[in-house]
This record gives sequence, structure tokens and C-alpha cells, in this order.
Amino acid sequence: MFPDPFYYPLLFTAAALAIAAGVLGTFVLLRREALVALAVPQIVAIGAALSLRFAWPKLPPALVAVAVALALLAWARHRGLTGLLPGLYVAGVSISFLVIANSGAHVAEMQNLFTGIDVAVTAQDATALAGPALGAAMLAALLWRKWLLLAQSPTMARLSRIHPIAWEIGFLALLGTVLLMGTNTLGVVMVLALLFLPAATALPWARRIPMTLACAVVIGLLDVYAGFEISNGMDWPFSQSVGGVGFCLLLVSHLAAAIRG
Amino acid sequence: MNDDDDDDTPLLELADCTLGYARRAVVCVDRLAVHPARCLGVFGPNGSGKTTLLRAIAGLLKPMTGEIRRVPRLRVGYLPQLRTIDPTWPMSGLDAASLAASSRSLPGWVGRGRRRAIRRRMEQLAVRDLAHRPFRTLSGGQQQRILLAGVLAIDPQLLLLDEPTDGLDLRSRDLLVETLRQEKQAGLGIVLITHDPEELAMLADDVVHLHVPDAPGEPSHLDLRTPARANAATRIATSELNPRN
Repeated sequence: MFPDPFYYPLLFTAAALAIAAGVLGTFVLLRREALVALAVPQIVAIGAALSLRFAWPKLPPALVAVAVALALLAWARHRGLTGLLPGLYVAGVSISFLVIANSGAHVAEMQNLFTGIDVAVTAQDATALAGPALGAAMLAALLWRKWLLLAQSPTMARLSRIHPIAWEIGFLALLGTVLLMGTNTLGVVMVLALLFLPAATALPWARRIPMTLACAVVIGLLDVYAGFEISNGMDWPFSQSVGGVGFCLLLVSHLAAAIRG
Repeated sequence: MNDDDDDDTPLLELADCTLGYARRAVVCVDRLAVHPARCLGVFGPNGSGKTTLLRAIAGLLKPMTGEIRRVPRLRVGYLPQLRTIDPTWPMSGLDAASLAASSRSLPGWVGRGRRRAIRRRMEQLAVRDLAHRPFRTLSGGQQQRILLAGVLAIDPQLLLLDEPTDGLDLRSRDLLVETLRQEKQAGLGIVLITHDPEELAMLADDVVHLHVPDAPGEPSHLDLRTPARANAATRIATSELNPRN
């Protein structure tokens, strides 16, 4: 019934990420920012590669890499340059491995970061992730009417001296926080699985944003629990099990919504 | 204070303005005023600078030259075009009506008092029972009345309308126009951008016609007419649509 205490930090971290990613993921899909969410974890990998290569602490290089990437992205949007975002994705995948090229042990660790197959989480990691990620999610959820206004009528927002670009940067910062903490701790697959799948599962049934956020969070927690049980029972990797469960729920949700019309 | 004096004071006045972006002038305005309880219709072909003029009136665009004077603390409401509303965002009728109110506080929260005002306006516009229905499932007319109820709930002195009846059926259009006429009689100043001559005739007291410049790169010039009768506005607009008539 209860898992081995050894797994508590891992489960706690995954649950915190499920809550944060459920909230942010809903807004990512509604705002059509999926490519940003796909690119940021690759950028985190550049920071992780630098920390491996030069034996630096894990978080600061990743934080700098994400901050630079988001600043570049905001500038590119302001200038109407659309090609930079896919470029960042490719740069992340390529440069992260070039930084640690010809270093076998580091390559294996980087592969772990990408695939999330051999994830080890300490209590310290769990605490480090939970605060910022849950804080970012809570802030994003409390501001839901603002995101709705900016999506539906930027002119109405500007009339009240609300600057859409400033709010866009704010959203990217919240998203970047969750992606950075999640990728650094649990790997790319887990972050993307919990960011996209629960939100996409909840959206076909959505009538209002607060309820959609709550549903995405509950589905994310269910994914983590079911993924953990399957991973333990079948001796499968945890992240991929969560992704598999999430995708099955997504299919069921979309099929049921299609049948319901 | 004399009421007549109040009525004569424009909410907003443009004097010797050149409006445009970067160094490109789009519209030249010698003088233009928007008064309480009057509707200024803005009419002109695509590319004539209607949106530029609206942005300047809204205070979103500073004039390159000239001056725009506003009454202090002018409350401006804006009714978005229906086609700009993204139906993928899940929202109820009440959420949609709360958009304008949510722009008035930093976190976007809508207090109890504002919610009451929104419900009262929804009741007035006969859309109160749609408050909990998904916005995307409603007809265009219902959606537009819900958005209008929300904008009126913030109690604007000046309402900006950018093609408000675009895509509506005739009955919905007439209902919306009738509501706007009542609000105008109650003292609301309105600026209406439209392609619909009938709408101009029904609502506009003054009509601004923006002429497309003869030479490319030249700014549009503004021709202000105050129709003696309501249907004169239609004639102005229709003659521009069909120059041979």
C-alpha cells in the first residue's frame, strides 16, 4: 500500500511537479506556447552539461542558460523574428552534447537527464524544487483572469495601462522556473509528460479556467501515482511510465469527448 | 453648474494632429471632438487609417504633431471585435463579461461590487441567464451583448466600438444598436468604426469620413460632417460605397 520510504523524495518531487506543470501546462496549451515549453528543457540541458564539464554546482549554469534563452526569445518576439525558437531547441540538443563530447561518464549522465530513465532524487532536491515550482504555479493560477484578458483583448488591456509584452515575459519567467526546476531534478521526459498530457486531457471538457486547472492537477497526480505503481510492478522506467499513463488518459478523454459530441 | 455647459464640453478633442507610426504619417486631423451623449461614426475604406484614429482617441498612440485633450480621468471602454475572441479559451458568459472589469485591477480580480454591476448590466441587456453558459456555444448576438454588458459595467464615459455588428444577423444588430442608442441618450459618448452605412444612420450624430490619399505614402485626410437628419449619414456612407449612385 505505502511505498518504500526510499522513494518518498522522488514521489514528493513528482507530485509537486505534477501540480505546478498541470497549472502552467494548461496556459501553455491555451496560449499556444508548446514549442517554447519543448525548447526550454533543451536549454536547461546546456546548463547541466556545463556544470558536468566544469564540476560546477548544478543549478546556476542552467538558470543562466534559461534566463539568456528567455531574454533572447522575448527580444525575438518583439522584433517579429519567428525562426529563433526552433533554433533554440536545436541548439539545446546539439550544444549540450558538444560541451561534454568525448567524456563517457558525463555523456551517460546527460542521456539520463534527457530520458529520465535512472532518476535519483534526494530530500534536498525535493525541497529545492517544491518551493519555486509551486510558487510559480500558484501565481499563474491566481492571475488567470489576466491571462484570459490578454488573450482575448490586448487592446482592452492596453487601455488600462497593462503592457502585454511585460506580462508575456512574466509568463515565460513562471514557465521557465517550473521547467528549469523540473528538468534539473526529474529529467526532460517527466517534465514534458506532466506539462502537456494532463492539461491536454482536461481541456476537451473545460468550461471555465479554474476548473480546468484543478482537473489538470488531479490528472497529473493520478499520472504520477499510476506511473509509479506500474514502474514498480513492471520494473519499467518511472518517467516513461508516467508518460504512458498520461497518453492513455489523453486518448480516452479525447475519444469520450468526440463520442459525446 | 449649468447642465448645458457640461454637455458642450467635449470628452476629448484632437487639434492639428498628425497621427502615424515611426515617421510615417497615416492620418491628418485639423479638429475633431467627441462629446457626451453623441456618437461619432468613423467611416472609410481599408487602409484609410480608421484604426490609427481609434488608437489615438483611446490614448494608445501619441500624435506626431498637434494635441489631444481629454477631460481629466476620462474612463474609456472598448468593445472588442467578436472575430478577435479566441474560442479555445474556456470561459462562461460571466467570465467574458468580466474581461473589462478584470483590466481594472493589477491581479485581474473582480470584486463583489463589480460582479454585481456586471450582473445588473447583463440583466439589462437580457443576457443574465447566459452567465453560466459556455461563451463559445452562444450566438454572435448573445456574445456581443455579453461583452457590451461587461464594458458598460465599468461605467465608461467614452465607449470605443470597432465594427461591433460585424458578423451579426439583422435582429442581433438592431438589438445591439438600440442598446447603444439608449446608452447614448443616458450620456455616453461613443466612437463607432463601421463599414455598415445603416449602422451609421441609426447611431451616428457626426460622421467622419477618411479619404484614401491620392499618392502612396501621403496621410489620409479627414472630412467631418454632421448630418441634419439621421439618414444623411447613410447617404454619405452609401455614396462612398457606390460613387456612381
